[in-house]
Amino acid sequence: MTLYHFGNCVALLTPYYFTYKYSGLSEYGAFWKCVQAGGIYIFTQLVKMLVLATFFYSDAPSSSGEFNFFAEILRCSMDIADLLGFALILSRIPGKGHSKLITAGLGWATAEVILSRGIMLWVGARGTEFSWIYILKCLESNVLLVQHITTATLIWLFTRHDLNKALKPLVSLLLAVTVFKGVWLEGMLHILTIGPWLTVAVKALVAAVIGFCTLHIYSGLAQQIGI
Amino acid sequence: MMNEADSLTEIFRGGLPHCLLIVFSLLLTCSPVMPSEFEVISMSKYDLNGQHYGSRVASISLEARSLYSWNTSRHCVLTRLTDLSIHDFDKLRQGAGGLILMLPANILNLDPETKELITILEQSMLTHTAAVPIYFAPYNKDLEKIIDDITYTTTDSPGQNQTALAQLVVTVSANRYHINVGGGSIAANKNSKIPIIHGELIPNQLALKPTESVADGQKLPVILITANLKTFGIYNDYPVNADAAVLLVLMELFSKLHYTSSMAPKYRLRFLLSDAGVLLNFQGSKKWLEVDDNALQNVEFVLCLDTISESLSYTTENALYMHVSKPPKDKTSISNFFKLLKSSAEKYSNGLAVEGVHKKINLADTKLAWEHERFSIKRYPSFTLSSVKSPRSPIRTTIFKNDESRLVEHTLNTTRIIAEALASFMYKVDPTSSIFEGQLAIKEENILPYFGVKSILHNNDVKDAFEKYLNNVKIIYDKPDARDPEFMFYNENEVKLNVYRVKPAIFDLFLTFVIGAYLLAVFLAIQYFPRFYDEVSKLTKEDPAGQSNGHSSERVRMKSH
Repeated sequence: MTLYHFGNCVALLTPYYFTYKYSGLSEYGAFWKCVQAGGIYIFTQLVKMLVLATFFYSDAPSSSGEFNFFAEILRCSMDIADLLGFALILSRIPGKGHSKLITAGLGWATAEVILSRGIMLWVGARGTEFSWIYILKCLESNVLLVQHITTATLIWLFTRHDLNKALKPLVSLLLAVTVFKGVWLEGMLHILTIGPWLTVAVKALVAAVIGFCTLHIYSGLAQQIGI
Repeated sequence: MMNEADSLTEIFRGGLPHCLLIVFSLLLTCSPVMPSEFEVISMSKYDLNGQHYGSRVASISLEARSLYSWNTSRHCVLTRLTDLSIHDFDKLRQGAGGLILMLPANILNLDPETKELITILEQSMLTHTAAVPIYFAPYNKDLEKIIDDITYTTTDSPGQNQTALAQLVVTVSANRYHINVGGGSIAANKNSKIPIIHGELIPNQLALKPTESVADGQKLPVILITANLKTFGIYNDYPVNADAAVLLVLMELFSKLHYTSSMAPKYRLRFLLSDAGVLLNFQGSKKWLEVDDNALQNVEFVLCLDTISESLSYTTENALYMHVSKPPKDKTSISNFFKLLKSSAEKYSNGLAVEGVHKKINLADTKLAWEHERFSIKRYPSFTLSSVKSPRSPIRTTIFKNDESRLVEHTLNTTRIIAEALASFMYKVDPTSSIFEGQLAIKEENILPYFGVKSILHNNDVKDAFEKYLNNVKIIYDKPDARDPEFMFYNENEVKLNVYRVKPAIFDLFLTFVIGAYLLAVFLAIQYFPRFYDEVSKLTKEDPAGQSNGHSSERVRMKSH
């Protein structure tokens, strides 16, 4: 049942297809825009890897097994490049409306799940050894899909000039919370040492809360500009 | 800036297929990781007189079960050696799919009953044919956890008073283990052979009287001392070889004695060491008798050494038995030697008793009980000295060993008794006087190096020792007959044991249903998301009222200006 288990894990990624199919992207012919978003994701990750390897020390010998906050802050600082990548994607996709944001988030998330989880699933989930890690990683990918669509929306809101001035700091705060999630959320989860299933649940809850706040802000602006 | 972005996008559009090709190539070459890998030792395999012993199958790819929950040939039993009984082994070696035994971490800490059971189990393994692959794994903490996991799981406990739902959940979600042992094909070793080395101790010329000549020395009666070097047990490793150590120490001692003593010996000493033992039906001495039959003339007696020390002792008995096939009459050489042994034991040992055991040779049985029966059949006076009383004692074939210092001490003590008795017999000296004292004293340094000797096929330790102390050293090899081989050995491959943690097949089906339910929930959530968005939009519709209030405030301020 090893290949069957691999199929089970891949089935957990079906929400990506659901998002593409039932949010109207397939009708707008946004497939190649998603591929383009994926390409920009690859470019952004390559730049991040080059900068991390060039300008940052490797913290592997100093902290083995412990959560290094300083190293995480440095690593998450580089995630600002992800925001620039999202901005580049949004500037490359014409039009307006919901499909633009979902295309950017979905393309980015799909490229990430293929490149970072694909090899792990192919090698591990097809193996003889059973481990819950593969199911957990696929569930976490669903959480990341929501998170990336939220980030795309926040970037779009951040670049709008007609956004209410009172909401600008809130959007900036949400962006900072999203970028530095590796510091505060992973650190908190590491300190609490809860189980892996509860970890995924907490991450899903955090993504849902941030997503709801973003949706609230977005719906206000959307009504204002008549989307 | 926009042009640069365009060019970057074009590069990626062109480069993506190449990246995908590289990625797919990497994916195809990746192989699953094997987290649990253990060392295993294959069980010994050999043929003797057309009978197969040991296991003839090598590969295992089966589900792991405990000693108490296996029931078909599709189960591989994974358990501890200390938990296995003779009855279990008899059932397993005929009906299971495989057997993997974890050896004890430290056999010295076991209680005597467990030691006895282990040796009896070893003997049963070595004297039966196993139709299933059998492997031994050294002690490993991870392997012990796996054994505990498969032993204490409640999956196969029919007596449990559980609800049907609880049993269903346990059946679906319990951990299973899949055992994989590679093992190539088992082929007979066409170069199988048993080395036999023989040497003679020539008397010192100075000790001979002037009236005697060299030719007279050749006519002295012969005392032959034989021992067997054991090379395998339940697996391919050297057991304790106290017999070979005693033989080599006697060789060294009497060589020194012959060159330092001014008395003329009454007998010639010969030494014979072969790589066969009770497991191989003393094939070495049989071959030597066939080849060198004419050389063995005028034999006073043959002294065979067999299990001088119990390598895994579990009794407090301390005795040295002289096994004979025919009760010796009074005033014969064997009877005299027996009395000298008794006298020597009373003088030097701490309560070591010397007893005689008589057992007739069963000519109908092809397997011999003791090595001296080989010589008794040829009508040579012969006996075997052993620390075990019964020829069926499993101590003779165990591969495990006791505390080494106690072994060395016991072997040293017994060697001294035998040496003193033999010297008294050879030189007709008063048994009350001590010969091996002072410069000729037997010390621990003499015997300790000989405990680790290896076969002539492995290194030259035995050959060097024989050539150093003896003359006329000959080495012959017993090779199996091409048509009707009397013995045969088998090649052994390096194998690894891989234990995979798996779930039952029904579990993946159960997981499919759970994932299906989750996907249905996600599908419904996406379908209802527009409605949810409308609700969120309604929440923000109240904001324009607030803004209009702001506008009113601003208008009021402008009017006041």
